[in-house]
Amino acid sequence: MLKRLLLLGVISGVLAGVVALIYQKIYSSSVGADFSSVVKPVGVMISNIVGCVIAALGYWILSKWLKGKTEIVFNFVFVILSFASMLPAFAAKLPLTVNSPELFPGLVIPMHFFPALSWSTLEPLFIKNGE
Amino acid sequence: MKKSIFSLAALLSLAAVLAFAPATNWQMTDKYTVRFTGGGEVGGIFKTMKGAILFDDQHPEASSVDLTIDVASINTGNGLMNTHAKSAEWFDAGQYPVIKFTSKKIVKSGAGYQVTGDMTIHGVKKEMVLPFSFQNGGGTGTFSAKFNINRSDFHVGKPGGDVDENIKLEVVLPVVKK
Repeated sequence: MLKRLLLLGVISGVLAGVVALIYQKIYSSSVGADFSSVVKPVGVMISNIVGCVIAALGYWILSKWLKGKTEIVFNFVFVILSFASMLPAFAAKLPLTVNSPELFPGLVIPMHFFPALSWSTLEPLFIKNGE
Repeated sequence: MKKSIFSLAALLSLAAVLAFAPATNWQMTDKYTVRFTGGGEVGGIFKTMKGAILFDDQHPEASSVDLTIDVASINTGNGLMNTHAKSAEWFDAGQYPVIKFTSKKIVKSGAGYQVTGDMTIHGVKKEMVLPFSFQNGGGTGTFSAKFNINRSDFHVGKPGGDVDENIKLEVVLPVVKK
């Protein structure tokens, strides 16, 4: 079970990272704000993979305690944490060389939901009902 | 006798020409910085400044400076802080879109200079004396100034809070001869 969860974590992290990079490209070209010096592709990939692997470990721990209700509680916690992770994006102080910091939350806030979306998309392929 | 009078007149004319020689017209390059800090996390830059600078380091009294900073170009590094700084509570960029400094007098002061002039911020005009230095590199030069502005003098923000009353400003202005 843990092996499958970790694999799900890594794959959903990679998927979330790829989606985040595509979104960054589209966002930058549409609004004309370049945050590539702050949001670097390697950082995006690593943070998504690490986030999803931590989620996998969280799921595994919850499954030991909650048995049948794991998925409901896990999804709830994952979404709440995704919402909570938005706050630092509003408070972030960017280097003064970066123009239009007003547009920064618009880039990173959607990215904070990609791990949860990616996990939910791939989860049925790795976890059977009731597991 | 006639010859001496002519010589004296010529000398006086030359002296007058030299004394009232127009100061050099300097053009700002786009490498200028206007940086401010106001305690703790508060700090940033103004990105857009325009100005006319007539300056002669040998005859500073013949010099003049006129600078205009675009308030909307403020960048604190944080979007919410930028919006807040431009709001009516602080700079009110909608109603007072520029910060203006117009010199009245420039004098030599120690190793540097002092400019006396009218500073207009947030619609409030106040006479200020600002120290500055000038590095003359022939066809190029750099003006540098470090000074404090009491924001309450210009009714910028409410007194107290997280932002210091005295805002430290650092201006570096590279210029080239026009």
